[in-house]
Amino acid sequence: MPSGVGWFEGFVDGLPNNRVFKFVASRILVPYWAWRTPVKPLEGGPPPSMQPGDNVQCMMNLIMPLKDKSPIGRALAALAVAQNKDEIFAGLDNVGTVHFARFVIVDNNICMFSVYDGDFTNYIRDFVATIGSVFNNVVALVEKGETVMPCEQNVEAFIEWVHERDMYQVPDLATDLFKDQEAMNGSKAASGNDDLRQLPPRLILQLNANPNVSLGSGYRAYPGYSAAQVRHKLGLGW
Amino acid sequence: MSAPFKEAADVQGNILRGYRKPHVRHLVLEVTDCNAARRWLAACISGRSDGVPQITTEAPWTTKPHTCFNIGLTSEGLRALRAPSLDEFPREFIEGMSARAKKIGDTGPSAPETWPAPFNEPKRVHLIATIYADAIAQLDSVQHHALADGGGLRLLGAFDGQSFPHDLVHFGYRDNISQPRFEGIHDPKGYEDAQPMAPLGTVLLGYETNFEGLMWHVPKDVGHNGSFNAFRVLAQDVAGFDAYLDTAATELLGHPNVDDLLLPGAEATIGHGLSRHAALREVVAANMCGRWRNGVPLALSPDTDKPPHKVALNNFDFVGDSRCPYGSHIRRSNPRGGQIVQRVANHSRRIVRRGMPYGPAYDPAKPDTKERGLLGSFLGANLGAQFEAMSCDWLNLGLHDPRVTGSNDPLVGANEPETSWFDLPLKSGPPIRLRGLPRFVRTRGGAYTFLPSISAIRYLGALTN
Repeated sequence: MPSGVGWFEGFVDGLPNNRVFKFVASRILVPYWAWRTPVKPLEGGPPPSMQPGDNVQCMMNLIMPLKDKSPIGRALAALAVAQNKDEIFAGLDNVGTVHFARFVIVDNNICMFSVYDGDFTNYIRDFVATIGSVFNNVVALVEKGETVMPCEQNVEAFIEWVHERDMYQVPDLATDLFKDQEAMNGSKAASGNDDLRQLPPRLILQLNANPNVSLGSGYRAYPGYSAAQVRHKLGLGW
Repeated sequence: MSAPFKEAADVQGNILRGYRKPHVRHLVLEVTDCNAARRWLAACISGRSDGVPQITTEAPWTTKPHTCFNIGLTSEGLRALRAPSLDEFPREFIEGMSARAKKIGDTGPSAPETWPAPFNEPKRVHLIATIYADAIAQLDSVQHHALADGGGLRLLGAFDGQSFPHDLVHFGYRDNISQPRFEGIHDPKGYEDAQPMAPLGTVLLGYETNFEGLMWHVPKDVGHNGSFNAFRVLAQDVAGFDAYLDTAATELLGHPNVDDLLLPGAEATIGHGLSRHAALREVVAANMCGRWRNGVPLALSPDTDKPPHKVALNNFDFVGDSRCPYGSHIRRSNPRGGQIVQRVANHSRRIVRRGMPYGPAYDPAKPDTKERGLLGSFLGANLGAQFEAMSCDWLNLGLHDPRVTGSNDPLVGANEPETSWFDLPLKSGPPIRLRGLPRFVRTRGGAYTFLPSISAIRYLGALTN
């Protein structure tokens, strides 16, 4: 600690490590602050861009809270995916712009993570158009899923529904700040520095509004290529 | 022939069939008095001939009227009219064209921030009334009748367009060749067309769409028999286009494989007395569009615009080894039955085009900098699934074919000379890649409008909330 720092600065600096302060900050200060400074949840998906490289290999991180939050509910979700997997995958193949897609259960959410090219709404619209009613078996198990069923007859609403459950993607620049914070958390034991003041205030409020986010646009081994370009180059047909 | 479409009298005209009138005027209007504007709407369909012009419908006519009159409402317009079902409309329509700028390529010099009045204030653009006529005096007369009593509407701007002879547009191509043909709609010209008939749901709400078993949501009370229009003021840089063709032709003259593009001595098949440079200009222009300037498609006649046997301009598909470039304008905007990445999307993004040039024809002998271009109306039942889907994934990005992905439409794309490219296919071997294409078409304004049915106009006109 630099010389000339008085007891008060020392006290403030120590607050983030103080269990009482941590409790007060997370349970009272942030909720009060968020109430005083309302922040809308940010929309999911990648930000719009005109750069071709930004419009291929886009990420979809779909978090769908299950209605039945029990091992039985999770098993039903696992079965729904397993029983319809072939048709869903065939549908993704027909959409033509999907690199990868997988289903994951995290806590009581059934998640679909995928990497796709081009516009999100085109992806979802073509997906529904090609698989018709199949995805309803998954949607039926999800909170508020009934509001958009059957998907094939509520296409616009279903696209919005998916969009609302797609994680917000923190822009790469802000992520750099967040990465620093993570690094700081990671090295907490060594430095003992867990200074909440260094968390950008707006990010705290944003993460209060968007509890689940994607951090940046992610890593790519071969950026800028569409799924069809990769398939074409590899002679897999497209 | 399928049974005639029974609800034609409920659908506004110019949607299922074009009027083919030589003059058009688009009046951009703001609703200043909700109740007066509602009365004005009611008057538009009152059947009276002494006041506000009557909306022209799709009902078959025995004699073609001298003038036609139609209206479109923006989401701000529906809000100004206090229409109750606005939140049932699709997101892209509610947000409006300027909010969707990045998606549809309106960036840089096309960005909404650069649009002049009246589209610089999208919240005030409520209603676009369109008059079609045989003469300008008739446009004036209909406009006078439409706005004589104010009608709770304020005129923010007017855009006049007129057709050029032989359906030519500013870049010198014949336009307006390929349009969806609809079941049950009389098609007097009966052009041969290899494409399947389009379901009514291509352009009208409440009918089967191009996606089997899939319907668009029909907003309560006002949706049925309605359509959407992406109205665009598209400035065309004719001098820039001509200059680019010159540059490209000069560059090609020095290219080692140029003889594969145009056989030496074959200039005469492109045009009588053309120099090799001038002939190459036409080859480049034809490849960029996918059609020769006279409309003959490269898919049917890749080497000459005057094929020995007459070809039907629309009777082709992009199958096999078609020599129509994958990246050409007509192939990007409508890949027909050709192989595309989005296998379910082949005919699903088709739109109805009702465009007319504005501004004087460009005379290369007397260069000027006057604004000229196209007043484009791009119609469909779902802006997101058709106009936007085509614009963002196909015209720009070129996602439908891995051989053009990463490039934009050579004619209308959001091109930057530093990064743009376009491939000219050769009879054999790899294509010749042209670079340095600038943006030839700049958006100067526009709005997403809803074209309500006659019963929807009646409903809106009778609202009392």
